[in-house]
Amino acid sequence: MRLELRDILIKNIQFGDVSEIKNHTLYVNRQDIESLVMEDEHIKEVLIDIARPGEEVRITPVKDVIEPRVKIDSDTGMFPGVISKVRTVGTGKTNVLKGSAVVTSGRIVGFQEGIIDMTGEGAKYTPFSETNNLVLVCHCHDQIKAQDHEKSVRLAGIKVANFIGELSIGLEPDQVAVYETLPLLQNILKYPDLPKVAYVQMLQSQGLLHDTHVYGVDAKNIIPTILYPTELMDGAIMSGNCVSACDKNTTYHHQNNCVVHDLYKKHGTEINFVGVIITNENVYLADKERSSDWTAKLAEFLGVDGVIISQEGFGNPDTDLIMNCKKIEEKGIDTVIITDEYAGRDGASQPLADADEKANAVVTGGNANELVILKPMKKVMGHMEFIDKIAGGFNGNVAEDGTITIELQAIIGATNEIGFNKLSARDY
Amino acid sequence: MAKFKVVHYINQFYAGIGGEEKADHMPEAIKGAVGPGLAFQAAFGEQAEIVATIVCGDSFYNENMEKARETILGMVKQCSPDLFVAGPAFNAGRYGVACGDIASSVQNSLGVKALSGMYLENPGVDLYKKSIYLIETKNSAVDMRNAIKKMVSLGLKLLKSEEILTPQEEGYLKRGFRKNYFADKRGSHRAIDMLIQKMKKDPFTTEFAMPTFDRVNPNPAIKDMSQTKIAIVTSGGIVPKGNPDHIESSSASKYGKYDISKFRDLTDQDHETAHGGYDPTFANLDSDRVIPVDVLRDMEKEGRIGELFNFFYATTGNGTSVANAKAFAAEIAKDLISNDVQAVILTST
Amino acid sequence: MKYIMVTNNPKVYEKYNDKLNVDYKQQTYKQVLIRTRDMIHSGHKLLTHPLSGSVKPNETVFKTIIVSEQQNTLDLDSLRIIEQSLETAKKFGVNQHLMTEDLLNDFGLVDLSLIESVIIKLENSL
Repeated sequence: MRLELRDILIKNIQFGDVSEIKNHTLYVNRQDIESLVMEDEHIKEVLIDIARPGEEVRITPVKDVIEPRVKIDSDTGMFPGVISKVRTVGTGKTNVLKGSAVVTSGRIVGFQEGIIDMTGEGAKYTPFSETNNLVLVCHCHDQIKAQDHEKSVRLAGIKVANFIGELSIGLEPDQVAVYETLPLLQNILKYPDLPKVAYVQMLQSQGLLHDTHVYGVDAKNIIPTILYPTELMDGAIMSGNCVSACDKNTTYHHQNNCVVHDLYKKHGTEINFVGVIITNENVYLADKERSSDWTAKLAEFLGVDGVIISQEGFGNPDTDLIMNCKKIEEKGIDTVIITDEYAGRDGASQPLADADEKANAVVTGGNANELVILKPMKKVMGHMEFIDKIAGGFNGNVAEDGTITIELQAIIGATNEIGFNKLSARDY
Repeated sequence: MAKFKVVHYINQFYAGIGGEEKADHMPEAIKGAVGPGLAFQAAFGEQAEIVATIVCGDSFYNENMEKARETILGMVKQCSPDLFVAGPAFNAGRYGVACGDIASSVQNSLGVKALSGMYLENPGVDLYKKSIYLIETKNSAVDMRNAIKKMVSLGLKLLKSEEILTPQEEGYLKRGFRKNYFADKRGSHRAIDMLIQKMKKDPFTTEFAMPTFDRVNPNPAIKDMSQTKIAIVTSGGIVPKGNPDHIESSSASKYGKYDISKFRDLTDQDHETAHGGYDPTFANLDSDRVIPVDVLRDMEKEGRIGELFNFFYATTGNGTSVANAKAFAAEIAKDLISNDVQAVILTST
Repeated sequence: MKYIMVTNNPKVYEKYNDKLNVDYKQQTYKQVLIRTRDMIHSGHKLLTHPLSGSVKPNETVFKTIIVSEQQNTLDLDSLRIIEQSLETAKKFGVNQHLMTEDLLNDFGLVDLSLIESVIIKLENSL
């Protein structure tokens, strides 16, 4: 499977009369966006705004972040099984509006967190302080069920990102990168001397506000399976996950999965990257047993020498992570796991909820309990209800001048467990 | 610039007063630097001055902790120092505990920055590494020069409120705190580099070491207890009244082997605990509460166990180093086997 | 499989009490974990992860955990998981936030949803 990613660099975003991309600037017509979002009968109102890197803006609570992309010259489309027909993606050509993102916000339940600060201390911890963001604050009708509410806001983001992606059809890319993974047997013949590596990606799949969708299928109902890495780049995996802001994977993270990209960088020189195994993180322990058996079985079946395992979320998934690691190691396959830590504010507590000596190679996205001080911003997109009243009470506090002292766990993507950031933690 | 004032704590041995026979030496403040303090003073140079040295016997400190602490805190307060340095204690267990305890008390009660130095296996390490910086030393005074160099360098940084770098960079023992930092590469890149090293069997460094436990796989269950000879081994400090072997109340350097062939029941007339880490009242009243001799005698009589071995083994687990505990266990195990003991009841407190 | 739902979530009680074995009591999050641990000690097997959901133990007040109805010898995996979960819950400390009706409703809803997907699977197995 071969995919050409064609980056169109977006360096600015503005409102305009016509939605279009000109000179690296994304112009957005509010009306276009509004009518698209309001197609959904559940949505009562959408506030559309723009947040650029360096601006004194705070977006909260963030539900999802999506990168605008479009497939060109293809009969398949972005986000198959959800807004495009359910055909296998990952081949052909895809335009990427690099440097831009659609950010959805809105109160689904009262305890949502998720901060993106576009400047200041908080900006250092989230990748989305560096993107030109189109922000959609969605309000639904009062009596809506939480399940429908989550779905409406999720689809609003996907639809708008798709619409913006389509604006790039016909544009010449600024840079092009080709990613190719051959069918397994050919791949192995091509680089017979290189160690074979697969990527085991764990997907959040526990229930309401904790879901991930694969080709439109709720991930808690999948059994582990194999994807070509390029499928992820075309929106095969979508986030429906609204809890644990610091270590949830947004759709943007799935589209730009850094383990996939970094494995491709060494593919053919130091390693032979054969593919992605996806698995879930269910609540039912029997599901954990089955899924971890299957990841180990698939890794063995692929004949790999090593795997990277990435996690998503807090607590329960620690058990899946350790089970995957243990069972794959028991097959004689080397593992490295990527996780994050809840070691307490002083860093003195046991960071993980599960442990095993076989997990001897660990990469950490940092301690999510560590405090960070966020100065007030001139403008807030969304609402501060959670931060002021709830996150303050749970995980931090708010001073009179509006300065928030809060745990890193409130910041979107701060301790990401696919290894998206440079943040790590060490012993002192 | 005025020199920083430093107070140094050492034991009776390093003060040249004497060895174990002088370990009950009461706290004493001496003006200026003494013993290893002279080398500290040389290393501090013009930047800091050791204004006083406090000497205290190791036994005195460990057996009269509250009193020793209070007396010494008073002495330190009078000097109003900017820094308190204790030791280094290397692998000396009671000295390590004294250094750690007084240094962390000075820091907590007087707000004076404090540090010490010791060997990784010193029982003082686990007790005090979270409260104060402990420079890592080798296990004997052969390492004195090197230890002083690092302690002075870290001490000066504390005095000047400079940023304290990682344990590797500064030479202190890991304190058990996780702290965030920005690495050079993103996590996925670091993970792949680590995997490549692991697959090549090259050394690699995990970013988080899983907690390790010294796991012992249990032996198969005993089929017939009525034919089994059982012994008791305890870290609960039970000893014949009077503690004939002087087993230390903490950081034990020895264990005892005691005859119970004549006892059906332990009482406050004949047994007690030497343990200093828990309220001894109930153990002293009836030591069967820690080692169930009475119940085992009953079972012996009823034929439910073969026999109770004539001796029990005891030490205090309180602050005793893992290395010491392992050494005791190896000797005890050998003795048990040579006496045909088939099963052991281990009790702790 | 026959099972018991240990819960302090009234929504779980309302939905399942008629047809299933629900061990409902007004108690704290941590007490649900301790109750579950005691049941594991007496031979029940843990069927769902005690730290279900990414909502932190000091945020939500509701918790539902499913254990087997049948008692057998002590299941060591169950014991390990419940003990580690208790440790983690303790680490996060106690919820100090004043709960609004609205918030309680939302937390209850999410806890219920996490357990609903499991019930469907349990009802499909022997």
